[in-house]
Amino acid sequence: MGKIFRYECRRLAGNRFFAGLLLVLLFYGWQVLSRVTLLGVAHTAPFSPWSFGDYLSRMLPLLWLGALFLLTFFTSAAERRRAVLTAATPVRPAAYGLARCCAALAATALLALAVLAAAAVFYGRTFGWYGWGTLLVPALVTLVPPLVFALGSGWLLGRLRPWLLLPWMLIPFLLRALPLPACLGLLNGSAFTDRPLALGTLDPAFSLPAGAVAVQCALLLLGAALLAIRPARRPGR
Amino acid sequence: MEISIQNVSMTYPNGKQALQDLSLDLQSPSLVGLLGPNGAGKSTLMKLLVAALLPTAGAIRVDGQALPGAERQLKARLGYLPQDFGLFDELTVAQFLDYMAALKGLRDARDAIREAIGAVRLEAQAKTRIRTLSGGQRQRVGIAQALLGSPPFLILDEPTVGLDPEERIHFRNVFSRTAQERLVLLSTHIIEDVQSVCDRIVVLHRGTIRFAGTPEQLIRAAEGHVGVFWERDAVRAPGLHVTARVNTSQGIRCRAVADALPACARPEEPTLEDAYLYLISREAAQ
Repeated sequence: MGKIFRYECRRLAGNRFFAGLLLVLLFYGWQVLSRVTLLGVAHTAPFSPWSFGDYLSRMLPLLWLGALFLLTFFTSAAERRRAVLTAATPVRPAAYGLARCCAALAATALLALAVLAAAAVFYGRTFGWYGWGTLLVPALVTLVPPLVFALGSGWLLGRLRPWLLLPWMLIPFLLRALPLPACLGLLNGSAFTDRPLALGTLDPAFSLPAGAVAVQCALLLLGAALLAIRPARRPGR
Repeated sequence: MEISIQNVSMTYPNGKQALQDLSLDLQSPSLVGLLGPNGAGKSTLMKLLVAALLPTAGAIRVDGQALPGAERQLKARLGYLPQDFGLFDELTVAQFLDYMAALKGLRDARDAIREAIGAVRLEAQAKTRIRTLSGGQRQRVGIAQALLGSPPFLILDEPTVGLDPEERIHFRNVFSRTAQERLVLLSTHIIEDVQSVCDRIVVLHRGTIRFAGTPEQLIRAAEGHVGVFWERDAVRAPGLHVTARVNTSQGIRCRAVADALPACARPEEPTLEDAYLYLISREAAQ
């Protein structure tokens, strides 16, 4: 499956759509960094985990959209015509699906890394600040669970009805506009802007409410479980 | 390799019955031609044989083992060219075949790819992106992936569509050579392809088998039912099906099949095409 993974990575990351997506992400990311993050959020430093988390939560809708867009490579009408050939091979569908999901995950990770790299360059150039280790936890907590969930849910929806991926791409944009409870605060960024103020200290250490951690864990597990679901075959199909 | 189809019926979820109580045995080595008009159920039968569909009734056995239990064993020995398929346009021909070889679990992929590319005469395009290939070249890539790894069971659905006459003859010979030690099921509308290479013919019509036997048997069944006549002499005979009209200096010469030829028709030796059309016209009349 290693070879399939490599070919799928090449297909996903080696096309002009991926390059376009990357450029849009970098442009938008730089705008957010230089206009919003530069000022810091909730009276914290621009390179605090809170400001960095706010930057990531603003980038999350585009990354979600990008992850689902990558999945359209596996659910499009053209792909269904290709599946006629691949389905006639002895490869285990679960293993083949896993190789492709891993490729989508890797390509999404590349997009996320580009977003992180933009922040690293911004912090280094603007503030001469290189303490990236402190930003690892907010990066993992903010990006990994929703993106795994995006891929898992998108994988399932795309196989049911490919067009469902399109409205599903808009979900995080909708969430950002809604007043969500604190446990969902990582999805609309309020966890980074409201919580430091609620903690009542100046430049507080990064922490999350237990509810938010539980929601992120649930998203991660649910996303992984959805990736593993395989539709049952029935006579006549 | 032995495929046994026992009382298989297939009804699609929309209620369309594609196959009815179909039974057939296939054994290697053989090149079996599958003929039938559009909608006869040929592609459905092929999809059932590659386990892309599950029958609504009946069973398919591969070397005695029932599908879908033996699905992986079947697919490990299968080369399949569907009528309508897509290719990975971003990859080159060699990369695509390498991809398919990985899915097929081939050990000596490099040799198998070289052999398949040679068989379809695409050596010059091996490093060309599939996106830039012509329709005929894409069809040849499809044939190459089916031949990859020399599978003992080949299912080819309209393999010569989009190929020029020279290529058609070449592939006819490739399939004929392949069938010397393997089982090849060839579905086509081009009777000429079947006539020259198939040792067995199966005619499907409205989801059932109307004929299964050798080309000679099919031709023999049409003897006395094929004739030629001048169009000006023709009378409206019931069940008369004109299969060819040729403009000559003396008028239009017609070739026709019928249960009872009109008096003006001169009997002719039937070709396989005549025999097939005679069979189908009889079925249509019923």
